[in-house]
Formats: sequence, C-alpha cells, structure tokens
Amino acid sequence: MSNDQHSFDSDSSEVMDEIDDEALAAAMRVVPLGAGVLAGGAVALLVLGYIAVYLLVFLPRGVVG
Amino acid sequence: MSVGVGILIVSTLGLIIFTALTRGINPPSNVERIDPKKLHLSGEFAEHNLGTTVAADGSVVTRVIATQFMFSPHCIPVPQGRPVTLRFASPDVIHGLLITGTNVNTMVIPGYVAQVHTEFVRTGNLLMPCHEFCGLGHSEMWAIVQVLAANEFKPDADGRVHCVSEY
Repeated sequence: MSNDQHSFDSDSSEVMDEIDDEALAAAMRVVPLGAGVLAGGAVALLVLGYIAVYLLVFLPRGVVG
Repeated sequence: MSVGVGILIVSTLGLIIFTALTRGINPPSNVERIDPKKLHLSGEFAEHNLGTTVAADGSVVTRVIATQFMFSPHCIPVPQGRPVTLRFASPDVIHGLLITGTNVNTMVIPGYVAQVHTEFVRTGNLLMPCHEFCGLGHSEMWAIVQVLAANEFKPDADGRVHCVSEY
C-alpha cells in the first residue's frame, strides 16, 4: 500500500512536457512521410519477391492450363 | 514513392496477363461428369485405356485412375517438349496430385474428370504423390511420371506408350 502511495506521489509530481508548436508541426510533416516510405518499401519488396518467384520458379516449370 | 509502387504493381499485373495470354497459362478448370461406379467397367477409364496414348493427329493423352491407395498405371510415360493432356478420375474418395518440379497440381473428385494441359520441360523421373489425405494408405499412394526424350517416346501399333526402364 505504501508503495502504491509512493508511486502515486511520484506520478503527480511529474511536470507535463512542454510542447513546442513549431517542433510538433515539423514532426507531423515528416512522420507521415516516413510511414508512407516504410509501407511503400514493404509493398515494393513483396511485389519484387512475387516477380522473382514468378519469373525464376513458376515460368521455368512449364505451362499449365 | 507511392507512384513508383503503383507502377511496380501495374507492371507486375501486366507481366502476368501478358505471359498468361501468350503462353496459355491459366488455372486448370474442367467440369466434366463421369459415373464413378462404372469407371473400371467400360469407357475412357477402363483398364485397357489407362496410360499414355498418341492419337492419329499426334496429340498425347494420359489417363490415370486415382484410387485407394494407388495410381493406375504406376509409371506414366510422357514426352518432353510436347503438349500433353492429363486426365484423372477417382472411383472412391477425393484424391489430389502434383508432379514435382512442374506446375501440375489438381484435385481428383469422384464423379468428375480432372484435366490438366501441360508441357514437360526436362527429361527424367518425376514423383507424383497423392496430396489429399485419402485414408490410412495415403502415404503409400504415389506414381512416377517418366518424361522421355523424343527418341525414347515411341508409341506402339495401337498408339500406346510404355515406360522405357525401371526406375
């Protein structure tokens, strides 16, 4: 119980981070772009892997229909 | 970035469509009924019709029965570099098969004829196991597809072709 009380006291004593509006705006300009690059890169790698299997494995095994 | 990924995806789809149209690649689909109770008595899948035959027009057709727990015939001769039509039927339960190293892969469902058109690229003996669990002997159900070069793929007077050697 005493530990909980101590924990509560320390939390309440924390000071809120100061938010710099300009820094926040700068971060919000870059972060979505990074997420897009990460997602796009992942999709590109997936598609390139698909093409590699299609060209190097599927087609050399002969036609089927 | 997004434009590049879009171009990549569209190019991939274009490549698949182009090769499918120019090389005749498509998922095997054949809806053809057959009575599984009379499979072995008469008609296309009677015992004397099983195996590989070359018709008068040069077309190669292979007929195989998939049954618990074997393929009949056990050795299937096919030519290298020529179009082959593979036809399968089952008198009992659902089976499946693939031919290793090729794109041949189909289910064999009682009451229907499974048909696959293909062309074998390399000579040699290829394993053809059943890949649909069909009972306690499923793991013993396999056959050999013997891909023969042109000088070995010789039909007899009836147009039937036999495996050239033991495997």
